[in-house]
Amino acid sequence: MISVSKISKWVGFILAGATLSAPAAPAPQHIDVHQISKRVEDVVVPLPNEVFGALNKLGPVNWKEFVRTEKGANFTERPRIALLLGSVIADGFIAVQAEDAPAVKDIGQRVLTLAKGIGVGNSITPHAKAIIDAADKRNWDNVRLELDRTQSSVQQAMNEVQDQKLAQLVSLGGWLRGTQVLTSVVTKHFSTEGAELLHQPDLLSYFDQKLAGMPEYNAPVVLSIKTALNQVRPLIDVATKSISPDAVKRINEITTRLDGEIVTRQ
Amino acid sequence: MKQLAFLAAFVLLVRATAVASVDDAQSFALQAAEPYVKEGFQVREDYWGGDLGSGEKKAVRQQLFKGNEYWFWMGTEVEKAKISVHIYDSEGKLVEEPDSWQKGHFAAAHVIPKGTGSYFIIVSVEESPEERTHWALVYGFR
Repeated sequence: MISVSKISKWVGFILAGATLSAPAAPAPQHIDVHQISKRVEDVVVPLPNEVFGALNKLGPVNWKEFVRTEKGANFTERPRIALLLGSVIADGFIAVQAEDAPAVKDIGQRVLTLAKGIGVGNSITPHAKAIIDAADKRNWDNVRLELDRTQSSVQQAMNEVQDQKLAQLVSLGGWLRGTQVLTSVVTKHFSTEGAELLHQPDLLSYFDQKLAGMPEYNAPVVLSIKTALNQVRPLIDVATKSISPDAVKRINEITTRLDGEIVTRQ
Repeated sequence: MKQLAFLAAFVLLVRATAVASVDDAQSFALQAAEPYVKEGFQVREDYWGGDLGSGEKKAVRQQLFKGNEYWFWMGTEVEKAKISVHIYDSEGKLVEEPDSWQKGHFAAAHVIPKGTGSYFIIVSVEESPEERTHWALVYGFR
């Protein structure tokens, strides 16, 4: 690994010039996406705050309304813990949006407990501490950074033990909680632009495909999610049409039900 | 037995070298991103990486949200390589902003999505003295 400090000086110098003087080489104005689609890499799942940021730009959101710090049920099944961990990380981003330091600290602690439950506590401990420290200092950018690092470290640790499926469930848990909050906000104050943020058909296909590859995870909540993704698909895969208020409300009902199944023992 | 141990050590060494090279490529991609952090871009920890031969391209698909602004930064540790990154919408239309840039073993593409949905990011190793060139792509948004 090349030391970042060694290269930073000259790279910074080069880049300062690059941004001013080196436009991109001419690229084709159009490509055949049907050819490209056959060899695309896996998608990177957006963080909940990516969509929250876009939502914020449409108008004020009362994020405090969505802050959640209840500890919820304790699970021993790893897939359930992974889904819940993703959901709790998303709760962390919500608490950051609300600038609620005590909630962020509780969530940091909860993230650590859940990470230990799937055997990745060691990788997460420094991030959990950093989340709590940054919340104390109300340094929200650092909290966001550490929440992202937490999710990335879980994925890395899972990959190292060839357990990518659990990492995918963490991402899925976060996406579901983010979508639940997004649809709550848009249902209350409907706008076409807000509803458009739900236009994520490829992400849905991605999760669908990943769930199909984990038949060994047959907990009722996982089966519920599989069914629910098929219910959500026609509501958001509307090509050039707008996503309707009814569709947003229906997705909110579905994701709220799933959230209940993820956080409580049933 | 000794031969087996040697072989195992060799395989581990080769594997470690390959991993280190992708890590190096990521370091360069992050270096390309550094000036933009000061402008309020949040750089994701997650990244794409791999290796490509000269003239080879790879597509990655990414969900982008209207209202956000994105930069994608690509880097490689092969200093004499020339790489590029470009962004297309789901219809295959080039959508990057004119301030996107490339400079040797760094490249970056800037997009302000006109709509929420899937976009294609096409990465390419245009020239390289190496048979295979490690690359990494990171992105940030604000």
